[in-house]
Amino acid sequence: MDAALAVEGVTKRYGAFTAVEDLSFTLGAGKILGFLGPNGAGKTTTVRMILGLVAPTAGSVRVLGEDDPARVRNRIGFLPEERGLYRRMSPVSAIGFLASLKGLSTAEGRRRARELLVAHGLGDFADKPIRSLSKGMAQKVQILSTLVHRPDLVILDEPFSGLDPANQQALEDLIRGIAARGATVIFSTHVMQHAERLCDQVLLMARGRKVFDGTVEAARASAPRTLLMEGGFDASALADLPGVAQLTTEPAEAGAVRVIAALNAGAPAQEALREAFARGLDIRRFELREPHLHDAFLVLTGGGDS
Amino acid sequence: MIRLLRIARREYLAYVRTPGFWLSLLLLPVGLSTIVVAPLAVSQATPTPRIAIVDFTGEHLAPQVAAALNPRGVPPQAVIAPDPPRPFANPDDARARLQPYLRGQHPLPDGGNLDAAAIIRPDNHGGVAVDFWSRNLQSGGLEQVVSASVGDAIRRDRLRSLGVDPKALSQVESFAPDVALYSPRAASGKVELKDRLPTLAGLAMGVLLLMVVLTGAGMLLNSVMEEKTSRIIEVLLSSASVPEIMGGKILGVAAVTGTILAFWMTIAGVLVAVRSPQVASELVGVFLQHGRWAYFVLYFVGGYLMFATLYVTIGAFCETSREAQTLLGPMMIVMTIPAVFMAQAVGHPDLPLLRTLTWIPLFTPFMMAARAASDPPMWEIASTAALMFAVTAFELWVAVPAFKAGALATGRFDVRVFFATIMRRRPA
Repeated sequence: MDAALAVEGVTKRYGAFTAVEDLSFTLGAGKILGFLGPNGAGKTTTVRMILGLVAPTAGSVRVLGEDDPARVRNRIGFLPEERGLYRRMSPVSAIGFLASLKGLSTAEGRRRARELLVAHGLGDFADKPIRSLSKGMAQKVQILSTLVHRPDLVILDEPFSGLDPANQQALEDLIRGIAARGATVIFSTHVMQHAERLCDQVLLMARGRKVFDGTVEAARASAPRTLLMEGGFDASALADLPGVAQLTTEPAEAGAVRVIAALNAGAPAQEALREAFARGLDIRRFELREPHLHDAFLVLTGGGDS
Repeated sequence: MIRLLRIARREYLAYVRTPGFWLSLLLLPVGLSTIVVAPLAVSQATPTPRIAIVDFTGEHLAPQVAAALNPRGVPPQAVIAPDPPRPFANPDDARARLQPYLRGQHPLPDGGNLDAAAIIRPDNHGGVAVDFWSRNLQSGGLEQVVSASVGDAIRRDRLRSLGVDPKALSQVESFAPDVALYSPRAASGKVELKDRLPTLAGLAMGVLLLMVVLTGAGMLLNSVMEEKTSRIIEVLLSSASVPEIMGGKILGVAAVTGTILAFWMTIAGVLVAVRSPQVASELVGVFLQHGRWAYFVLYFVGGYLMFATLYVTIGAFCETSREAQTLLGPMMIVMTIPAVFMAQAVGHPDLPLLRTLTWIPLFTPFMMAARAASDPPMWEIASTAALMFAVTAFELWVAVPAFKAGALATGRFDVRVFFATIMRRRPA
C-alpha cells in the first residue's frame, strides 16, 4: 500500500537562501505526524511543498499516491497558521463555500457544515456573522472548514494556538477521530504535550534540515534520563557517580541544594543512587525523570527557539 | 471551471450583501435626479431680482431695458423695483444715493430690497455708458441683458434718425436664416439626431468602461488584500488553481459592476423610452447597426480583463490599504489620459494623436469606444484588438505565478520584489 505522504530528497532554495535541504520522510495512512521545529526551521515551506503551493528546487513529493498534489486537492484539508475567515459570512456559508471548492455541491457542503456545527456546540451560531463569534468559536469554525469534506490528508498548522484547555482537549479528540477513520494527519505545534499525546510519528526540523524522524518514544530516547537529588551536600561530590554525564545545580529550600544529574544512555540510575548513599551524603529526596519530548526537542534542535 | 464559478458567486454575494453596493446602485439615479431637479428647485426658490433703472441720456431707454428684462411668454429675469426717492442730480448722485439700498441699509418704498441698479448715462465720446451695480458679485447675467437692450435701443434710434423705416427695421431684426447641417457621413446627407447618436454612444461606452475599471479596481484590490491578510488565500490556493481564483474574482466583481450598470441603464432606457420613444428606438438602432454591439463588447471585455488582471495581481502583493493606495495613485494618473482624450475623439475621431493613442494597449479600449462613430477600418479594429488581447494574455502569463508569489509572501510591499517576481515569472 502506498504511503499517504512520501517526501524524497526535497530541497527548496530562495536565491542564496536554503529553506529546506534534502528532506526525506514517509507517513503511512491513518497515522498522526507531529511536525516540530524552531521558528524558521522550514516547516511552513515543507507544508507548502506538500500542498503544491511551492515547487521544490530538487526532490519529489508524493501525496496520496500522486506526484502532483494539485490532482488530490479535494482529498486534502489544510488549516494555515494565523488563520482567518470571511468575517461577514455565517459559519454555515463559509464552511459550505470552502466545501464547495473541495468538490462537494453547495447544498451538501452547507448540510454537512450545519451538521458539524451542531455536533461541536456551535449550532446556535450557525447563521450569525463570523465577526460576532468569540475567537475560540471562530477558530473552531476554521478547523471544521478544514474537515467538512472528510479529507484523506489533513494538515493543521499550529491548530492548538488560541484555544482554551477544554477546546484543546476537544481538538485532540477530533484529531484522534480523524485518524481513527483512516485519514492521515500532519500538525505542527510548539506545545510538546500535544505531540506527545497524539503522535504516532514526529518529525523534527532545524535550520531547514531534518534532525529526527521516528516515534515519540524514539525521540524521547535521544534525550538523557535525569536523576534529581536534593539535600544538604556538596554538589561536587556527585560529579564522579557512575553513569552521570553532567550535573546541573539549583538552590533548594532551607539551604539545601538540588542537583539534576544527566545520565549516560543506558546507564542504570540505581548504581548512581547506591553510590551516593554509600558515600553517606545527606540526600533527602530523589527522583528519576524520564525525558519528555520537550527535552528531546531541545537536545535535537540544539536548544533552538521553539 | 466550477470552482471559478463558485468563487465568482461568493465574491458577488459578498458585495451584494454590503450596504455599499446598494448605495452605489441608488446613488447615480438619485444623483442624476438631483442634477435635474435641484437647479429647478433652486430657481423656483430664488426670488426674481429687483432692479432700479436710472436713465440720464434723455433717450427714454429705461422702458426698453425693462421690456428686455421682462420679455413676453417667459419668466422675468428681473422686476423693476419701485423707485427710490428721485430725482437724482447726476450719475454720481444716483450712485451715492442708491448705495444704502444696495447694501440693504434702507428698504425700498414697498419694504423690499434692491438687488441691482443700472445707471445709464452719456459717456465722454457722445455715446452711452451703463454703470451696473449689483448687491452680489455675480449678477447672474443681468448686466448683459441691460447692455444688449441699451445697445439695441440706441442702434434702432440711430437707424430711425437716418431715415430707416421702423417696419423695415423690425423685419430686418427678425430675419434669421434656416440653417440645415449636412455631412457625407450622415445617413440621409442631412445631419439628424440619429447621426449624432453613435458618437454619443461611443463616448458613453468609453466613460462606462472607465467607471467599471475604476470601481472594479478598488473591489478587486480589497478582496485580494482581505484574503491575504486573513490567510484565507492560502486555503484557497490549496483548494483551487490560481487561474480559477483570479478568474473567479474578476468574474464576481464584473458581475457586481454589471448589475449596477444594468440597473442604471435600465432606468435610463425606461426614462428615454417614456420621454422620447423615437430616440430610444434610434439608440437601439445605433447599437445594432454595423455590428456596433460586438465592437463595444470586444473592447469592453478586453479592457476590463486587462485592467482587472493587473489589479488582482497588485492586490496579492499588498497587505494594507495604504500599500494599495500607493500603487493605485500612479494607475489613476494613467487613467486620466484616456479620460481627457475621449472627449476630443467625439469632435475629431481621426486626429493623428488620437489614432496613435489607440495603439497604446492601456488606452485602446477607451479610445476605440470613443472613436466608434467614425467607423474605424476593419484592419485597425482587428489589429488594436489583437494587440490588446495579446497584452492581456501576456499579463495573465506573468500574473498567475506573480499572484501566487504575492499571496504567499509576507511583509510590506516592495516594488523591486514585485517586478523581480514578475520578470522571473515563477512563484517565490
